Amino acid sequence: MKSAQSIVQEMQPEEVEETSIVSMRQVSKVFPNGYTAVENVNTSIKEGEFVSFVGPSGCGKSTIFKMISGLISPSEGELEILGESGSDQQQQSNDVGFVFQDATLLPWRSVIKNVMLPLEFQNLSKAEMKEQAEEVLELVGLKEYAEALPRQLSGGMRMRVSIARALVAKPKLLLMDEPFGALDEITRQSLQSELLRIWESQKMTVLFITHNVFEAVYLSTRVAVMTPGPGKIASTVDIPMPFPRTDKVRTSHQFSDIVGKVSQDLKF
Amino acid sequence: MEHTSDNLHVKERLEDHSKEREAAAKRRRNIMNNWVPPMITFLVFLSLWQFGTQWLQIPVYILPTPTDIIAASIQNSDRLLASATTTILESVIGFVFSVVIGVGAAVIMASSKILERSLYPYAILLQTIPIVAIAPIIVIWFGSGMNAIVIIAFTIGFFPMLSNTLIGLNATDRGMINLMQLYKASKWEIMWKVRLPAALPYIIAGLKISCTLAIIGAIVGEYIAGIGGGAGGLGYAITVASTTMEIPYLFACGIAASFLGIAFFLLVSLLSKVLLGSWHESEMNVEN
Ligand SMILES: Nc1ncnc2c1ncn2[C@@H]1O[C@H](COP(=O)(O)OP(=O)(O)OP(=O)(O)O)[C@@H](O)[C@H]1O
Ligand SMILES: [Mg+2]
Repeated sequence: MKSAQSIVQEMQPEEVEETSIVSMRQVSKVFPNGYTAVENVNTSIKEGEFVSFVGPSGCGKSTIFKMISGLISPSEGELEILGESGSDQQQQSNDVGFVFQDATLLPWRSVIKNVMLPLEFQNLSKAEMKEQAEEVLELVGLKEYAEALPRQLSGGMRMRVSIARALVAKPKLLLMDEPFGALDEITRQSLQSELLRIWESQKMTVLFITHNVFEAVYLSTRVAVMTPGPGKIASTVDIPMPFPRTDKVRTSHQFSDIVGKVSQDLKF
Repeated sequence: MEHTSDNLHVKERLEDHSKEREAAAKRRRNIMNNWVPPMITFLVFLSLWQFGTQWLQIPVYILPTPTDIIAASIQNSDRLLASATTTILESVIGFVFSVVIGVGAAVIMASSKILERSLYPYAILLQTIPIVAIAPIIVIWFGSGMNAIVIIAFTIGFFPMLSNTLIGLNATDRGMINLMQLYKASKWEIMWKVRLPAALPYIIAGLKISCTLAIIGAIVGEYIAGIGGGAGGLGYAITVASTTMEIPYLFACGIAASFLGIAFFLLVSLLSKVLLGSWHESEMNVEN
């Protein structure tokens, strides 16, 4: 009976539903201490999008990401990732990559061993693991540092290792929780360009949290503006600028217009 | 042309040489700074002891001079060596047990909050009972031999291992555990790949405490249980020497015991350097 019902739902002629990689319907999260972190969030993210979430501290951005990645489950509402509802997500671990705010590298492992970590949970030979890890290290430009230890790297390099680790399992969906927050502006901008290059070449979907409106607008196809108390998505702003985006984009009129609009939405 | 490039090479090599020499000099200065002051203190202390006791005419049975003690050690070197060997054996076995069981128990407690809550209080209780109070009971249960002494050495070294490891396992960075959960890692995979390595600095701090405690435990055990094995360990030798009034030999045994403790500690420190040297702050020569 239940399955029949769900088939009926899926066959509803809403195009958004068919191609969406993440869809949230009336999702809320109440923590065990009674605090409502997010309330009635509705969103649908299509494959291949780059969506940034901006909003003040404490508005529930990380909470949403944790629900999408399956680290915590929603208290209410429906959450579908890659066409599967939150509860049967168990098999999908390789399809979602997560980059945390701090690089979260294991300090006792070399760079390449850190990158190989996600592969250790798949049935791969040592040689295959090494090959794939070297491939993504090349992608983030850290091939020469394969044998270095995390403490020997700069903050920006550690972040790149963390990104390589998230990419190594070839995720369809990449979640990045304020990955560049702790970096200086120059490193930040070069990593932004690098990320866009990787996003375009790997054909994946990226969800990105940031406090920085400029960063959000530069990177995204769409920006979700969140407001606190309790956290919800107040508006989404489309960014109709074409890719690949060069550094010139940052100084264009269109860019500052959109930044202005997003900033306006944030104030509500 | 060739001449000049040769010259350059020579110059480079000379510069290399001078750099090396500078580094060697720095190392030497470091050794000087670290070792010379305590050595001087030690020599001053020894000569004060030697000449002070001679000058004040303190009898040998109250305070023997360092030369008396050295003479007694050489005279009784066979006995001393046999006793030291017995003590080393007992304390090493006791230490190994306290490490294996301490870390094992910590892993079990860290993997289940219920187990931790129901077992840890008793581990603390065990720790608060003075060892001299339970030692006789252990001797009664396990006989006055090596077994009892090993168990006493184990008992005293166990708790630091347990509590240190447990703190380390519970202090693991939340982010690392989240990361592992993302990969759907099992509880034991998280334990093995993240929590235990992350706890290693704490475990090694426990090792440093337990290794010297194990020797104290062995000596206290011998004190109470007697012979122990072969000719009896240092603790037993101390009881014998004090009843037969061989005071210089008594001192020799005590000093040998503390040397054992130091040697044991240095070995564990070496192990710590090997295991943590590359990644942990406590063992790095940080240049900043
Ligand atoms: N485990 C928890 N238990 C109770 N409250 C929590 C928990 N985790 C988060 N919160 C609360 O939920 C709210 C949202 O937290 P969240 O981490 O999602 O914020 P955020 O938008 O990511 O903020 P920031 O930008 O500072 O990272 C915060 O007010 C926080 O205090
Ligand atoms: Mg956050």
